Amino acid sequence: MEDHPYHFFSPDELNQLERIEEAGRANEYLYRILDIGQYMLQCGGEVSRVEDSIRRLCMAFGAERADVFTITSSIVVTVYARRFGAVTQTRRITGSAYDLHRLEQLNQLSRRICAEHWSLEQTEEALAAIRSTPQYGFGVQLFTYALVSSSFALFFGGSLLDAAASGVIGVVLKFLDRAIRETDANAFLSSLLCSCLGGLLAGLAVKFHLGDDVGMISIGNIMLLIPGIALTNSLRDMFSGNTISGLMRFIESILLALTIAFGFALAAGLL
Amino acid sequence: MDMLIQLITAFTGSLGFALLFHVRKEKLLLASLGGLLAWGVYLLMGLVSDQDVVRYFAASVALTVYAECLARAVKCPATLFLVTASIPLIPGGSLYRTMEYFMQNDLGAFSAQALNTVLLAVAIAVGMLFPTAIFQLVRRARVKKPPETPGQERSSPT
Repeated sequence: MEDHPYHFFSPDELNQLERIEEAGRANEYLYRILDIGQYMLQCGGEVSRVEDSIRRLCMAFGAERADVFTITSSIVVTVYARRFGAVTQTRRITGSAYDLHRLEQLNQLSRRICAEHWSLEQTEEALAAIRSTPQYGFGVQLFTYALVSSSFALFFGGSLLDAAASGVIGVVLKFLDRAIRETDANAFLSSLLCSCLGGLLAGLAVKFHLGDDVGMISIGNIMLLIPGIALTNSLRDMFSGNTISGLMRFIESILLALTIAFGFALAAGLL
Repeated sequence: MDMLIQLITAFTGSLGFALLFHVRKEKLLLASLGGLLAWGVYLLMGLVSDQDVVRYFAASVALTVYAECLARAVKCPATLFLVTASIPLIPGGSLYRTMEYFMQNDLGAFSAQALNTVLLAVAIAVGMLFPTAIFQLVRRARVKKPPETPGQERSSPT
């Protein structure tokens, strides 16, 4: 006979229940940690930084061991602690665009969480605050496209007229880019359309004596479209041991560059 | 004169990309100055070597040291400066020309240009590795090591 007849569960079973409850909590925490990791990756954080941040966060939230595997399109984390056993979650990552300001904020956030052992609610609030930080408006982006285009037209040896033409075309491309983005179209399609239009406008500009050299006008716009940073980063990834991420990004940037070259070739053929 | 134009446009080009990547006011100037520095080092190295790979490598090392130092000074990820300041160096034009030759079915020019593009990208990537590794070593030596979990390796963040 048991000492306490009201105990439905043996101590062993109670222990088991506690573990299940703890595991549920660990799952909740892990979910938020993955939110942070996913957002970092989408804002342009390096794979190694994301892995490291996730590992630190898991440890800060009480894991005894955390195994993190991240590539540009996915995160897999398993945390272990004697209290709750092993808990695993995966996250599929789609779409990323550099937002270095938010990346910086996320980095700070994860450091503070680790140092101050935040609660779940606090973490959620801070994450929501970062999500709602204002980005640069459309006007600034238009100016940016013009600035980059004309800068690189001059940089590669174009005339002032070329730079002006390139800047104007850059603004037009930004409008096209926004229109395409709203339809949620394929990234390659967007690049193809932008480069084709860029090539056409550059050709027309020279035809109507609004520019001197098609190549010089186009190079300014090409610098906006070409995945040069992605190519360099892909090599950096591979050299630092993240071979799969590096390869994925490498192939992606080669394909994008091909698409862009095809777009300009198409425009040249049409003119 | 050409060099002056290049330096100015390297600055404005980096500024443009920094804006595009949502870098905030106080860091915009620092990030764009990094682009100017990178291209300045590239031009200066022209006195020493006529090999583009060497010049890109040196510029990349200089810019990474700049980025890592600033990251510690203003407390933000080095990536922020690294990405924006490497804009004048990234072989975007070269990559485009590679694909252009491919489209024109000029395989000789294509392979030469492709090799050049990859070499430059490697020079930049490897140039970024060295200073980052050294900064990590210094950091690891200074910060007390956290207790290790058996069977797990740790890497310190950049």
